[in-house]
Amino acid sequence: MNLLVSYDWLKEYVSLKEKPEEFAARISLSGPAVEKIIPQGEELRGIVVGKVVKLSPHPQADKLSLVSVDIGHKQPINLVCGGTNLYVGQVVAVALVGAMVRWHGQGDLIELKPAQIRGVKSEGMICAASEIALGEAFPHEEREILDLGKELGLANNPPLIRGAGGINPGTPLADALGLSGDVVMDVEVTSNRPDCMGMVGMAREAAAILKHPFKWKEPVLSVSKSKGKKAGVKVTIDAKKACSRYIGVRINGIKVGPSPWWMKRRLMSAGVRPINNLVDITNYVMLETGQPMHVFDVAKLKGSEIRVRFARANEKMMALDGKTYQLDDKILVIADAERPVAIAGVMGGEETGATAKTTDIVLESACFDPVVVRKGSRKINLQSDSQLRFEKGLSQLSPPSAMARAIKLVLELAGGKVVGEPADVMPTAYKPVAYSVTTDEVNGLIGVEVKKTEMIDVLRRLGFKVSATGKHIKATVPWWRDHDVEMGRDLVEEIARVIGYAKIPSVVPIAVAPRQTDQVIQWEDRLKDSAKAAGYTEVYSWSFVSEDLLRKASYDPKNLLHVLNPLSSDWSVMRPSLIPGLLQAVADNQEREKCLRLFECSNIYVRNDGQTSGPWKDLPDEVPEMAIMVKDTEDDQPWRTAKGLLEHLFENFGISDVHWKRISRDNIWHPGRSAQAYKDNKLVATVGEIGPQMLETFKIKSRVGVIVINFREFISLAKVSKAYVPPMPYPEAKRDLAVVVDRNVEYGEIALSIRRADPRILDVQWFDTYEGKGVPDGKKSVAMHLTIGSPEKTLESSEVDGVLNNAILACQEKFKAEIRA
Amino acid sequence: MKDQLEALRLEIERDVKAAKSLAELEQIEIKYLGRKGELTSMLKGLANVPADQRPELGALANKIKQAGLDLIAGKRDSLASSRYDAIAETERVDITEPGVRPPEGHLHIMTQTIREITSIFEKIGFYRIRYPEIDWDWYAFEALNMPPDHPARDDWETFFMDAPSTKKGKMVMTPHTSNGQIHELERHKFPIRMLNIAKCYRRQIDATHTPMFHQFEGLLVDEGVNITHLRGILDYFAREFFGPGRVSRIRPHHFRFTEPSFEVDISCGVCGGTGMVEKKKCKVCKRGWLEIGGAGMVHPNVLKATGVDSKKYTGFAFGWGIERVAMMKEGVKVDDIRVLYQNDVRFLKQF
Repeated sequence: MNLLVSYDWLKEYVSLKEKPEEFAARISLSGPAVEKIIPQGEELRGIVVGKVVKLSPHPQADKLSLVSVDIGHKQPINLVCGGTNLYVGQVVAVALVGAMVRWHGQGDLIELKPAQIRGVKSEGMICAASEIALGEAFPHEEREILDLGKELGLANNPPLIRGAGGINPGTPLADALGLSGDVVMDVEVTSNRPDCMGMVGMAREAAAILKHPFKWKEPVLSVSKSKGKKAGVKVTIDAKKACSRYIGVRINGIKVGPSPWWMKRRLMSAGVRPINNLVDITNYVMLETGQPMHVFDVAKLKGSEIRVRFARANEKMMALDGKTYQLDDKILVIADAERPVAIAGVMGGEETGATAKTTDIVLESACFDPVVVRKGSRKINLQSDSQLRFEKGLSQLSPPSAMARAIKLVLELAGGKVVGEPADVMPTAYKPVAYSVTTDEVNGLIGVEVKKTEMIDVLRRLGFKVSATGKHIKATVPWWRDHDVEMGRDLVEEIARVIGYAKIPSVVPIAVAPRQTDQVIQWEDRLKDSAKAAGYTEVYSWSFVSEDLLRKASYDPKNLLHVLNPLSSDWSVMRPSLIPGLLQAVADNQEREKCLRLFECSNIYVRNDGQTSGPWKDLPDEVPEMAIMVKDTEDDQPWRTAKGLLEHLFENFGISDVHWKRISRDNIWHPGRSAQAYKDNKLVATVGEIGPQMLETFKIKSRVGVIVINFREFISLAKVSKAYVPPMPYPEAKRDLAVVVDRNVEYGEIALSIRRADPRILDVQWFDTYEGKGVPDGKKSVAMHLTIGSPEKTLESSEVDGVLNNAILACQEKFKAEIRA
Repeated sequence: MKDQLEALRLEIERDVKAAKSLAELEQIEIKYLGRKGELTSMLKGLANVPADQRPELGALANKIKQAGLDLIAGKRDSLASSRYDAIAETERVDITEPGVRPPEGHLHIMTQTIREITSIFEKIGFYRIRYPEIDWDWYAFEALNMPPDHPARDDWETFFMDAPSTKKGKMVMTPHTSNGQIHELERHKFPIRMLNIAKCYRRQIDATHTPMFHQFEGLLVDEGVNITHLRGILDYFAREFFGPGRVSRIRPHHFRFTEPSFEVDISCGVCGGTGMVEKKKCKVCKRGWLEIGGAGMVHPNVLKATGVDSKKYTGFAFGWGIERVAMMKEGVKVDDIRVLYQNDVRFLKQF
């Protein structure tokens, strides 16, 4: 999470000499990372402090005045202004020509131009707070202009601003407000460092890293050992594991009002809107110390007591955000005698919050269990700055100093009187922890030699109590690092980062790989390359699909792997096949592309029935698979394209003599146009077309050719190396042969018979199958190229004719074939 | 006869000169100089000529024949070259028309990026292994030093399978590739120089997150491994993957399974690591650097959980999202990362 850090504010706690840029660069390398640097007061450019010296009514408009304002020039300037609260002697903000303002606090920023208002020239504009982005700091009635003297207390206090003698007419407003020269840094704080979610923690880091003096003196909360007998408020912790400390302090007779500008300015720099002095103090203390605070209005607390307990079933509470939350026994609350008045660590209740009429309060500074806070907040879906800090884990020792600080600020800014003693309840005592590390361990891990004295120095600057004997360094963890530092190894990190990672050299450890890359990965790459070379495009589909899609593809979701907590029902079942995803891709792209050639090579997921063939015996089988689809609106036999590619892949990877089996009735595959390739009784691949029913389900308008490769079987048979067969030394003869056979006789059988008819038939290649005119019904004509030759000699023409005749005889004998001329 | 020969010479000259094609020239050669040509038949008449004139006429006839052949050869050359000249015109095509391309296939940008990363690390002795995407809590969390109440183990962050738990805990869809570390460490075979690149799953979806994504993870464990080696690996990757001159840096970060943990940045290629382009803030990076991923020295608790002696062995792990580095490198500026997995051919064809 991020914290907005005003550089000026940070300097209250640590002496810094660096320019903001230098500071950011250095801190980011050793501690929290500065992501952005935002200069302050830029939006107030061209706006100066002025003093009203003369007022007169506008001759043409009742609601406007003519105003002479001293802005430090020789002569006052003259303006037209509609402010209802103008008076002579008033200190105001004057926007000069060129400044950026927001008319009446609405719309976009507009550059101020010289103007004639109802016929009178105006040389600038007296601004309302909302017109110059100060509406949050100085809320006002409509048509009221910003009364700087009143808001900044200039009448009572001699104005103090950095470096200057005071606020005079003509002083830039940004200077008068103390914004000039400051920057706000947007700092990323990692989840293990909630101590840096406050200025003090950030300053402590800066002091340690930059070796500058740390100026913060931790305020002390004094509590006598009276065990709460003299406490100003009664506090009971019922949920002792969920709340390791609760401090309540009662203050009576306070006066709620706006906070002074210095506090508003700090809050605004951190992105927090000022509300009133009480709320502002709780926020200020949190931003300063990292410890969230809360304030209750005693008048609204039933029984004026505080209980920390889990909510009861059916309890409800309206929080400060105005929404009512349903609570349950997993949600930790702060309750009075009757009902929850705050969701512990998350947000206070609306009814018991401080209002303008509040006079008596109870301040809360506590330590809640990080998991309880996180789970509660997630459960009711309510986040806050307080919850974000608590869920990272705060220390049991954090509440008292923050409380002391808050009390001081309340008394200073809202008056009142502390009643009795603070109630400080701690179910278990705090035990500091200490860890050891040796200098060898530190140097061994960093890889460069660091002096022992330097190690000790770094740890001390970070607040560890260190003792050292020989090579052993023992460090007691400071309370603000309670949940973070867990063992000796953590000390190595502290030393290494503060010294600076940039100082550690870079050495490439080159070696010979001690193990081979996984076979499946290598084969995936080879097959992907082949598919790409053949003109196919790879897709990546989601590993999880909807039950609906699977039902479309005729899968029974009952047998599949389900996600327990899917993001949506679209992604609820682990895919058992790559086909549904690819079909979806074909359907989605078909309107735009005449020809689609797609493939995916990835895992499918199979429930483990105890007989998995995968490498992990107790887990679902993640089966590698490759699926390829081809659709071409001009091709009504895409099965042939698919089969051709599969044959190409077989040949390319040395898989020969596969046995083709017609696929039996199936919901996905086309019943007449699909086949399975077997080798050594293993199913290697399935090829064919998608069945018409499935095409209709996916609303695909053309035929789709498809291949599914069973990866594990394919790999077990595939070869990369090849054996060389020398070509025939004598010329080969080519003859064409066309035979007319029954329609159900398959080419494969014919080719096999021909090959067997004569050893001099070296090859048979199909080139056409014809049915129709000239061929009797129920018959087809199959045409082939025959390659005829001998390794011993060149065959005479008559010998070739003899071989061809053997082929013809075989066809006649086996298939009752007739020979076409 | 002498006159006849002279006349023939003139005829040959005239015809050759007038010839317009190689075929025509061929005919002229046959007609006058061929085996049954006019010159031959004229020479047959030589027998009737008085013997004393024969040598002179014979010589003349030979001279005419040679002259004719030379003439034809010369003409043949000139005809041939003018024919080649004419081809430029007669066979001219519009060269701006497109060629006939082979079918063009494409590998997904994820595949391409994964391969590139793999080959970079294989060169310095890493091997790639497949580990489960669906795994037990022990591998995904517990052995990685993530306590039971760690937010990543909440069911609003991680997907769980609808399957019974075992002594290794719940069955989870791995939210990172770090489960590979535990499997690899449990083999107790050193040195370990593993790459695990796999699909991962997290319960988030928006313009920069998809519930399925790809992560890359490297693990090196051996005796005497320290931070200098990690820095070396990261610098090596920066220049191999992003190009010469690019470097890495590490900053403190926090992960449960490494200590110390680092955020890894790569110097920005647009501003050269300065953070400024023409005196304006670089729009691509954060102050000269781009966050790429995480790294750290393997936490002693992780070694302990896998039964590895943490006094003897040390190591580091590093990893990042493949989607992110692909975007960082290719200049692929997609507004919505979900386009990677929507399988729109118009997107896929561009890689």
